[in-house]
Amino acid sequence: MLAVHRDVVNIVQAKFLSAEIVRSIHLNVFTLEEIWSNDNRILALVEYNKSFALFVLISSKIKPSCISDLSIETVTPVDEFFSCDTEPLEDTQTNIIFIITYKKIKRAFKIEIGLESSNFASEVIRSKELSLYNKPNFVWLDKYIGTMSIPSRSSDIEQDDIPITRHQIAQGQTSINRESMLKYHLKLKEAEYTQKQEFTIFVGTWNVNGQPPTISLRDWLSFDENPPDLYAVGFQEIDLSKEAFLFNDTPREAEWHKYVTEGVHPKAKYKLVGLARLVGMQLVVMVNSQHYHYVRNISVDTVGTGLLGKMGNKGGVGVRLDLHNTSLCFVNCHLAAHVEEFERRNQDYKDINARMNFRRSPQAIKDHEQVYWLGDLNYRITDLTTTQVKTLLLRNELPTLLKADQLNQQKERGNVLLDYQEGDINFQPTYKYDLYTDTYDTSEKARPPAWTDRILWRGRGIYQVAYRSHMDLRISDHKPVSALFKSEISVVDPIKYRKIHEDLLKKMDKFENEYLPQVTVDQTEVVYDLIKFREPQSREITIANTGMVPAEFEFIRKLDETSYCKDWMRIVPYCGSINPGEKCDVKLEVNLEMDLPKLYDILVLHLKGGKDMFIIVNGECQKSSFTASISLLCRISVPVMKVPDDQWKIADKGDSNVLYSVPRELWLLIDYIYRHGMKTKELFESSALHEEIARIRDWLDFGSLDPFPGTVQAAAETLLLFLSYTKDPVIPYELHDNCIAAASNYQNCKQIILQKVPDLHRNVFLYICMFLQELLKHQNDNAYDAKTLASLFGDILLRDQIRNSKPQASRGKSNFVYNFLVNDLSSSIIPPK
Amino acid sequence: MSAGPYNYSYIFKYIIIGDMGVGKSCLLHQFTEKKFMADCPHTIGVEFGTRIIEVSGQKIKLQIWDTAGQERFRAVTRSYYRGAAGALMVYDITRRSTYNHLSSWLTDTRNLTNPSTVIFLIGNKCDLEGQRDVTYEEASKFAEENGLMFVEASAKTGDNVEEAFLETAKKIYQSIQDGRLDLNAAESGVQHKPSQPGRNPLSNDQQANKDNCAC
Repeated sequence: MLAVHRDVVNIVQAKFLSAEIVRSIHLNVFTLEEIWSNDNRILALVEYNKSFALFVLISSKIKPSCISDLSIETVTPVDEFFSCDTEPLEDTQTNIIFIITYKKIKRAFKIEIGLESSNFASEVIRSKELSLYNKPNFVWLDKYIGTMSIPSRSSDIEQDDIPITRHQIAQGQTSINRESMLKYHLKLKEAEYTQKQEFTIFVGTWNVNGQPPTISLRDWLSFDENPPDLYAVGFQEIDLSKEAFLFNDTPREAEWHKYVTEGVHPKAKYKLVGLARLVGMQLVVMVNSQHYHYVRNISVDTVGTGLLGKMGNKGGVGVRLDLHNTSLCFVNCHLAAHVEEFERRNQDYKDINARMNFRRSPQAIKDHEQVYWLGDLNYRITDLTTTQVKTLLLRNELPTLLKADQLNQQKERGNVLLDYQEGDINFQPTYKYDLYTDTYDTSEKARPPAWTDRILWRGRGIYQVAYRSHMDLRISDHKPVSALFKSEISVVDPIKYRKIHEDLLKKMDKFENEYLPQVTVDQTEVVYDLIKFREPQSREITIANTGMVPAEFEFIRKLDETSYCKDWMRIVPYCGSINPGEKCDVKLEVNLEMDLPKLYDILVLHLKGGKDMFIIVNGECQKSSFTASISLLCRISVPVMKVPDDQWKIADKGDSNVLYSVPRELWLLIDYIYRHGMKTKELFESSALHEEIARIRDWLDFGSLDPFPGTVQAAAETLLLFLSYTKDPVIPYELHDNCIAAASNYQNCKQIILQKVPDLHRNVFLYICMFLQELLKHQNDNAYDAKTLASLFGDILLRDQIRNSKPQASRGKSNFVYNFLVNDLSSSIIPPK
Repeated sequence: MSAGPYNYSYIFKYIIIGDMGVGKSCLLHQFTEKKFMADCPHTIGVEFGTRIIEVSGQKIKLQIWDTAGQERFRAVTRSYYRGAAGALMVYDITRRSTYNHLSSWLTDTRNLTNPSTVIFLIGNKCDLEGQRDVTYEEASKFAEENGLMFVEASAKTGDNVEEAFLETAKKIYQSIQDGRLDLNAAESGVQHKPSQPGRNPLSNDQQANKDNCAC
């Protein structure tokens, strides 16, 4: 294996189980058939327990960098039905066609000629040889059948014109190659829904030497007792005129066609299937009309190989058809003349094969299941004089003569009609006779007799039952030849076919469902311990890909929601991709910063192209004075944790009496700072331990009788936190603009505070300001000035609605608060108890 | 093959709704896999299934969303109704409560889908005749009053399962033919695909033969 591909081999290997070993790969493979998408492909030869299979993978990148770049398109077991071959590619020396054939299925790929291709091809050929010795078992391939046809790119798929959100599956992703897969599998299963039925095929060939038809063809075409099912009758030299040669137009076509129609077996009715003619070559294919219904995909083509290598004085004409489920091809040829031109004849044969194109699948002659090759092949008897030939003929020493037959010689050497068969020749050479006689050429030229007129075949299930000449037809210098075949034709059993077709569809549906992305989550209900203010908790869920394809997951938002989760939740990661067999841990973190009795939500975990799962997150919250409203805190007589629920509810609605002019918790914090921290430098700037703040929070919420559990700095920070998280800000949101506008004028500011701010909030505001004024009295010790404090508290007392948003009007808020730090407040104060 | 290798011409979106435990997932499974899924766990989320069917010679791909039936998921599953061409509303003939809740499911369906959505009522578990709690006649009357198609089915035996899915598709297809269902309208739940049907080797198209014939 090439070292440069080692990394790619590892990626390809990841597509398979570890016991399924990637033996060889070939990159940059391109399909040559239109029915397959034009993607970059990789061929991979994979071995499992001495059985090999050839995988075609689609790679979304020229060189795949991860497993998700690859998808399996098809797999072919390397067994007795498998073969591979290479063919040169026209117009290029750098590339070659690599052909995989399996039963009737064939795929051709373009690959670059080089070390990689020769290594790969030899590995494949070696695996094929091994498969003949071992009895390979291919059950392991079953699981891949369903992974096939998954598209590599969703962009190939037509865009959805219905706004069904995120339902990409609606594109029918997995259906992209369904049709070709269906065809492929139907072909593989052909034996199950077809049965072989024997059809009689009459093949005839006659070089008529430019003579018009004047005699009945019955003695030739209706020679046998029973009517054949199919006729293929070929003529050569029906018209030797210049017009026919130059314009390919001749009245003889219709005449010979008419004579064929009249000459076919009287015991059956025949219908024309196809007629192909080029200059003097004509091929008429007719079918017993009872089978006409089962003939389809008829196509004809002609190839001239004569003058200039392309004129129609020599060449071949072909008719192809499907009879029931078997593809048949008949080729009538007239190859180059003259004894010494056997190589030209070989070339003509090759040209006909290369150039005949029926423009429907299968297009080439050799791709048909059954090919019948007939015509005036023009091969002569070589190295014997006319006299010698005639003498041997008189002694009936046909075998000696047949050894001298050029066609037999060339065929043996592999130069022509390589894999065709011919029946034993038991008839006299059919060329060249004096007209209207059975006498060999008596003219001056005295050409030696030859078997120029031949019928050969290629394909399975063809049995020749007769091969003969017809001496009684004497109008030409050739005698007509005919062969009768019993040929096995696959006949579709419609009931079985329908069943298999349906089963396949069902199977594909099933695969499609099974090969939807599948994951499991280890818990669908996530419960948190008691959730406390600003004490984040996280839980992990594990998403495991239990399916056969990479799963792309994403938490998605529900209808009418703005985000995929609530403000108090953080999901990390909230989207990602998991390969089959792998897992992903997702952290679900909650952090309570508002007044909620409990946290509850249903998260929707969506798989791209698949199902959705719901994950319930749930946790009870501990009550706290933080996040409670100022109004509530002023109405409860005891610490929040000791308040009975009903009292809490009434207080929360503002229906019970005001018991304190400012919240008890606020008073306790400020009192502690007042008593211990007025001279502390950087009182508000130092940051306390999280636990210390939690302790102070609990000390306040539970109404502990213990001494204050922290430093003055911690108390100061807790004070800021408390003011930052009260359910509503000290100065209601709707007044902020007014405050900012009034900031330059103390009287206006005072008016807002006295007239617009609710009583309890006004109390808190003035209480804080008085405390700050007290603090400023010690500014020689604590180094605070009014501006600094105003700026610090402005953003808190007039905090923005959306947390963490950049305070846009900080300066205005600061100026507003500043007024209350430098002016005498005594006229507005209701002092706390 | 530039037309695209789809072997279906339409995509219909279905939803399956109804109380918890009435057998929605089993109906889906029976329809897509032809198997009964015993011990089917409660669906927590929305399962997805697909199958290609044929209606009047047209291949139709059904994509079926099977929703969680638990009440607590109701608010979330509502978002899946949108764009459904067919709604299979399922109750359990052995549990009256599941039948009693139908009107609430129906209200949701009517509010959240469009008027052309075909609603098919399925009384599941009809194999449990002995435990029947809702008579056929009663449900049939309910269906008639509300203009619903109705059948009693069994996800266990497969009785009428195929029929319910297919009849719904036929009705939708009919609506398309009649022009009652506007394919261009958003949320019709139907997509039309430029179909490129494969040549059926059994179809005998004489005309095609003639065209290719040199006679």
